[in-house]
Amino acid sequence: MMRTCQIVSQKFAIEDAHTLSIAQEHGAYDTLAKCQEFTPLEMIQIIKESGLRGKGGGGAPAGAKWALMPQDSEQSSVLVVNCDESEPGTFKDRQIITKDPHLLIEGILLTCYAIKAQDAYVYIRGEYFQFQKVLQRAIDEAEEAGFLKNINITLHRGAGAYICGEKSALLESLEGKRGHPRLKPKQPEPEWYFGQPTLVNNVETIASVPFIIQNGAEAYRAFGTEKSPGTLLFAMSGHVQNPGVYEAEFGVSMMDYINHYGGGIKNGKALKAVIPGGASTGVITAKEAEEVTLDYEALRSMGSALGTGGMIVMDESTCMVSVLKNLLEFYHEESCGQCTPCREGTGWANTLLGKILNKRGSSADINQLLEIADTMNGKTICVFAPAVSSVIVSFLTGFRDEFEVMV
Amino acid sequence: MSFTFTPENIKTIAKLKTRYPKPQALSLPCLWMAQYQEGFISIDAIDVIAEVTETPAMEIYRVATFYSMFHLQPITKKRVMVCKTLSCKLCGSEEILAHLSKREDVLVEEVECLGSCGSAPVMQIDDLYYEDLTTQKVDAVLEQL
Amino acid sequence: MNQNIEIIVDGQTYEAEENSLLIDLLIKHEIKVPYFCYHESLGADGNCRMCMVEIVGQKRPQIACDTLIKPGMEVHSKGEKIDTVRTNILELELINHPVDCPTCDQAGECSLQDFYMDYGLHTSKINVQEKVTHAKHVDLGANVMLDQERCVLCARCTRFTDKITHSHELGIIGRGDDARVSTMPGRPLSNPYAMNVVDLCPVGALTSKDFRFHQRVWFLKSAEAICQGCSTGCNIYIDHNKPKYRDDTVYRFRPRRNDAVNGFFICDDGRLSYKALEENRQRQTLLEGQEIETDAACSHLKALVQQHQGNITVIIDANLYTEEITALLVYAETIKAEVTAPLEFYNDANFEDDLLKSAQCAANYQSVLDLNLSTQAPDKKGLIINFNYPEQFHADTVVSFNTHQGAQASLIFPIASYSENSGTLTNKDGLEQFSKKAVTKNSPSPTILEWLERLKQ
Ligand SMILES: Cc1cc2nc3c(=O)[nH]c(=O)nc-3n(C[C@H](O)[C@H](O)[C@H](O)COP(=O)(O)O)c2cc1C
Ligand code: SF4
Ligand code: SF4
Ligand code: SF4
Ligand code: FES
Ligand code: FES
Repeated sequence: MMRTCQIVSQKFAIEDAHTLSIAQEHGAYDTLAKCQEFTPLEMIQIIKESGLRGKGGGGAPAGAKWALMPQDSEQSSVLVVNCDESEPGTFKDRQIITKDPHLLIEGILLTCYAIKAQDAYVYIRGEYFQFQKVLQRAIDEAEEAGFLKNINITLHRGAGAYICGEKSALLESLEGKRGHPRLKPKQPEPEWYFGQPTLVNNVETIASVPFIIQNGAEAYRAFGTEKSPGTLLFAMSGHVQNPGVYEAEFGVSMMDYINHYGGGIKNGKALKAVIPGGASTGVITAKEAEEVTLDYEALRSMGSALGTGGMIVMDESTCMVSVLKNLLEFYHEESCGQCTPCREGTGWANTLLGKILNKRGSSADINQLLEIADTMNGKTICVFAPAVSSVIVSFLTGFRDEFEVMV
Repeated sequence: MSFTFTPENIKTIAKLKTRYPKPQALSLPCLWMAQYQEGFISIDAIDVIAEVTETPAMEIYRVATFYSMFHLQPITKKRVMVCKTLSCKLCGSEEILAHLSKREDVLVEEVECLGSCGSAPVMQIDDLYYEDLTTQKVDAVLEQL
Repeated sequence: MNQNIEIIVDGQTYEAEENSLLIDLLIKHEIKVPYFCYHESLGADGNCRMCMVEIVGQKRPQIACDTLIKPGMEVHSKGEKIDTVRTNILELELINHPVDCPTCDQAGECSLQDFYMDYGLHTSKINVQEKVTHAKHVDLGANVMLDQERCVLCARCTRFTDKITHSHELGIIGRGDDARVSTMPGRPLSNPYAMNVVDLCPVGALTSKDFRFHQRVWFLKSAEAICQGCSTGCNIYIDHNKPKYRDDTVYRFRPRRNDAVNGFFICDDGRLSYKALEENRQRQTLLEGQEIETDAACSHLKALVQQHQGNITVIIDANLYTEEITALLVYAETIKAEVTAPLEFYNDANFEDDLLKSAQCAANYQSVLDLNLSTQAPDKKGLIINFNYPEQFHADTVVSFNTHQGAQASLIFPIASYSENSGTLTNKDGLEQFSKKAVTKNSPSPTILEWLERLKQ
């Protein structure tokens, strides 16, 4: 049932694969020669054909985004790699930059070739400084070895703001500003960094590129499903026996994955609920978890989302009201505060839930939570607020009785 | 202005300037350097950074107040940042926090997800994570400081 | 150039420039949309999310301030769906806003108050005991007080100090619902246009220390006038009122939009110049310091004119209305006097900046230049008749017509100030503008034109 697949995690188990010599022994940078066989446009075509989807949470087709980058622009293009990794339940990019940083660097070089960029920035959450150092050492080694002659890779340290994972907020932050998401463009276009056309991709997306260039689009498509091709560094945390990050192909059954890699629910308890892909995806019940497969389409059809694939697993003893309270505290803390529905809505929802949790709430408060969720949906600058909205709705849909007994 | 960057940091800044299209991009790196130098970010440092980045001091001040890892007041005690977000909570962060609340020699801060949920509960001291915490492990770590 | 096209709003067809902002069209045609953060002088920021409209073919409501007008566009600015959206957002806005309108200075000119009346939120469902609390009386400097709790974080004030004055004193600091408007520690608001933020603030978060609690705005009447602080000729409203048993009084100056002159703003010096207007007024007719009847004073002046035939200078102040200057030229002609309009006093290079303030600190400076009037000191010094020019000259006899006290003259006539009189001014760019009379005093001083009439008799 569970086919082993190692597109991104091939060197994770190899000791010291973060050093250049060991990485090269295992094939690092081999694709640099190979990519010379292709023109930049051909590279983009290969990525398109591979069906590679962004692994930062949205699942947007990577090829289409690359194709938006101008090939003959007067301004030079920029690649920005998103290693903000702040979505609760998500800790996969960290594995790449510490266990196989050269894979990311290789992916960056290939991507820069395809989009004709000379400057690449990796935006790393501030708390990951210890891991940033590993990546920096790898970059220094690659530079000494002459791999970075045409390309500057600069690591940019964040400083504690979840919203800086959102691509336009990230770019603002990279420009030295507050991490405020920008107003959406009116038509499909690249992102912009100080007015230069810019591509933003997640660490894992970029780290998937060498495999595809090396083995071709079909080899990538051999994994996963028709609409969700390839693999993802899925992860588990919470009430599982063996939490961690394990690469698997899209389309496997969620429970198979949890049982196979996670060793099932901790302490032999029964499963109650799973947050499938980081805290901003809607919670699903144990029953739904039994049925769902790990791909974008299946989770969407359950009213949730695959997100980052970071599953938070909860056993039968978990109080769902306090779980939602915990998440709302997070959102309340992390809203950038720019737009009204989100700035006020996250705080207010958190207050209301606090009331319910302290047994001072009423059923009117539950309805009001839903109203606030509605106001936060689709009316804000970025999708942070709609995500919060969908999470609130998912808890009140799947576990309404737990809220009702509290009021 | 009583703040100046160390010679080493001045060199780093000069090098970073070649890496970014505009000096304003250096505001986060500079804030980090200032915080490492002084332990916090002073208004004097903000003025120096404003000059380096060719950005109004107010803008740097706004940036410094946006990010949770920057602090604008000196901190006298050791900061212990304990993750309180969901995975850590499910794995016992409340117990860790309760245990730490008895200690007066450290400044305990509850922080949001540290991206280390698979090894929950987690805390951060200075730039390092301590994972898979138990109360005994917490005591052992604090002993070492 | 973008083409003019037609779009439909609420079933009506409007013409607009393609790719111009939808909200500008709505504002221009007074189609009601609530909004806080947009301002024509500051552009769109998109943070308040209040200006939602429905655009046919779009799944979700859109903000009008970030919507470009396109051919064939069809917009609904009202209707149950959009009203619900707005009501709900407004309700969230009110969560942390103290609804203390009875004690708020802005009451009567507060967008929040207007909107929540419009959307029937007097009885908000949100029962607020746990509002986020912030500082209520922060002195930002430059006469501006901030109530952080009333602030809706529209960022108009901060964008003003960023984009208009480039002085950057104000900023929104902090994150999430801890975000608040602030200055940097020890660096107060201190630019010559600072008080405009009070007008820009859509709610009562920023108030003028100068005006706070003096008057409820709905008692005030406004006259469309021109500031006399310098030759820029900024358009203003003179807000005044005559409380029962008291005299008509000016309470404040406010900018009046004129894109050809001052846009939306005025300088603080101009704004505060209303104070000097009412202080130390010359109200009595005086002969050698003793009050005399106006008729006697007129006869006395006529006699002096006779006595000094051929040795008379008429001094014209460069703040007088053009109508007054012209009449004075005729008067000077009849009494065969020399005329001069000295400008020395009104040249102040330090006052000038590249926003609005001009170094020519008199409202009708340009008229004096256009009329080719002499600006030399008077050389005929038998009799000097000074029409309100503030500097003093020596002569055998000095007669002076003044709005304010302080003239050294044997005969002094009180005259109406510009707020008590109307007339035309030519600004530094040659633009003629009319300034309307605002105030009618219980016992008004005559205008210069009225005195000249009397002198003819
Ligand atoms: C609130 C929010 C937080 C996000 N955080 C992250 C993050 O931590 N890491 C990431 O790669 N993408 C994050 N994203 C998604 C990015 O906006 C962006 O879509 C992604 O980096 C694009 O790369 P991809 O297409 O390769 O996934 C976030 C989005 C939102 C709305
Ligand atoms: S939705 Fe929330 S996080 Fe996104 S821009 Fe608005 S306030 Fe900021
Ligand atoms: S003080 Fe007024 S103008 Fe400034 S952000 Fe607040 S509401 Fe807007
Ligand atoms: S610039 Fe001159 S005219 Fe305009 S408000 Fe100031 S003083 Fe008055
Ligand atoms: S929840 Fe604690 S590290 Fe993610
Ligand atoms: S006026 Fe459009 S969002 Fe504020």
